Amino acid sequence: MIEIILLISAVLFIFALKLFGRPSTAHRANLFAMLAMALAVFSAFNFDFSKYDSAFYITIVISGLLGVLISKRVQMTQMPELVGLFNGFGGGASGAIAYVELSNSSLPFNDYFVAIFSMVIGMFTFSGSLVAVMKLRGKLNNFSSKFANIFSVFLPVIFFIPAVLEMDNFVIEFIILVALITGIIRVAVIGGADMPVVIAFLNSLSGIAAMSAGFIVNSIILIVAGALVGASGIILTLLMCAAMNRTLLDVLKGGFGNTTINNEYEKDPISTSPEDVAIQLSYAESVVIVPGYGMAVAQAQAAVKELTNTLKDKNIEVKFAIHPVAGRMPGHMNVLLAEVDIDYEDMFTLEDINSDFSSTDVVLVLGANDVVNPLARTDEDSPIYGMPILDVDLARQVIVIKRSMSPGYAGIANPLFINDNAKMLFTDAKEGLENIIKSFELV
Amino acid sequence: MEATFLLTLLITFLASFIGYELISKIPQTLHTPLMSGSNAISGITLIAAILIYPEVRESQILQIIVLIAISFATLNIVGGFSVTGRILEMFKKND
Repeated sequence: MIEIILLISAVLFIFALKLFGRPSTAHRANLFAMLAMALAVFSAFNFDFSKYDSAFYITIVISGLLGVLISKRVQMTQMPELVGLFNGFGGGASGAIAYVELSNSSLPFNDYFVAIFSMVIGMFTFSGSLVAVMKLRGKLNNFSSKFANIFSVFLPVIFFIPAVLEMDNFVIEFIILVALITGIIRVAVIGGADMPVVIAFLNSLSGIAAMSAGFIVNSIILIVAGALVGASGIILTLLMCAAMNRTLLDVLKGGFGNTTINNEYEKDPISTSPEDVAIQLSYAESVVIVPGYGMAVAQAQAAVKELTNTLKDKNIEVKFAIHPVAGRMPGHMNVLLAEVDIDYEDMFTLEDINSDFSSTDVVLVLGANDVVNPLARTDEDSPIYGMPILDVDLARQVIVIKRSMSPGYAGIANPLFINDNAKMLFTDAKEGLENIIKSFELV
Repeated sequence: MEATFLLTLLITFLASFIGYELISKIPQTLHTPLMSGSNAISGITLIAAILIYPEVRESQILQIIVLIAISFATLNIVGGFSVTGRILEMFKKND
């Protein structure tokens, strides 16, 4: 009986992942996954609920209620932090279970290694995720990467400890400490704009930690579900890395953009006013909006929606061009735009829209920088050379709403800003858009 | 469900392969809900905690550690699915 429930659960998990692949079926995917999870958890009791005391049930109920409460109260702009936080909890749980198994029962030799693996990955995910959350909240600055890189050499070494040392509680706790510290400093050295990679990578690790916990307690469903999460997390991680033309190792090494080179501009940019932008937009036939992290920071989504409506009322075509690593987690911009009811049919990926820019009248860049820097195509010495970018410089007119000329994450100047077809509107994304909308009423 | 180590490894490989194949063509629009949904699934480690909880009766410290793991995993599962539902709700109303 239990076997059949578990089989159904595993099949449901696989179907859920399949359904996550299309916008029209994705909400059903979540229900499938929930059902699969409920069956899997139910089966773990093996119809014997009396083995568990009240402390156990109270913990589950309170934690569940807390989970619902947190998830309902959080703002959409805080989504990256929340995903990071929950992810850390999952990793921490796997790590704690591995610790208990290591110090409680006499595990067979194979399982010893698996348990240490699970414990290290779980604890690393736990502390790394918490640091990522703090970074996303802007509470932590970048950390020098040299020391961190030397320290990280210890992480692989500790896997060999059980081969040479008699395992006692002291050694196990030492390993936990190393894993926790490595998680903290590894994520601490990575800058904010690399967070999409970090979040996806930690997500993958929490799946791998769960999978290895499945090996220790001999649960096939745990292994299957953990492996599914691990694999899907790896895909997102690699997609994010490819979108920056960097390797995972390079991202994890940290310190990107710390070296400021060639930060000067040959000439002054052309500055513009909200009135001018409104006039230019009203004469356009096609407009492409490129949102970046600046839109999220300024909470400008509602203003974006309002401007989109204004333009569409004038029969102007409006599209959104979204770079894969825009924002702080994979798909961040898409979620923010969906929140204000912008149709996902209007959101385009880099590959789908890049050929359209040369026939676009006006491109509006909202708080994005490196992902529209043409140096990625032309300057072989640039740190972002080879990174796929949105070719907005090919459009007839580019308007960049940005507070200053300060460089983006890569720490380099963006020649787009001084291009002949570009104008700068020096203001906050939200304020800029609201002023443009106001000016429209006067045009 | 118990199986030999080798068979378990095979299952692990197959599950990873299926996960990889299913997700490799996912559109960018769904990256966030996918991540948040798979994140909730990783809380399935709750099962391991449920399985070992009755085994740690003798040690109060270990029992507390398992209860912490249960709390973390439950938060991960319930919070994760709930937030994924919220995100997907926004995509649904666009249909």
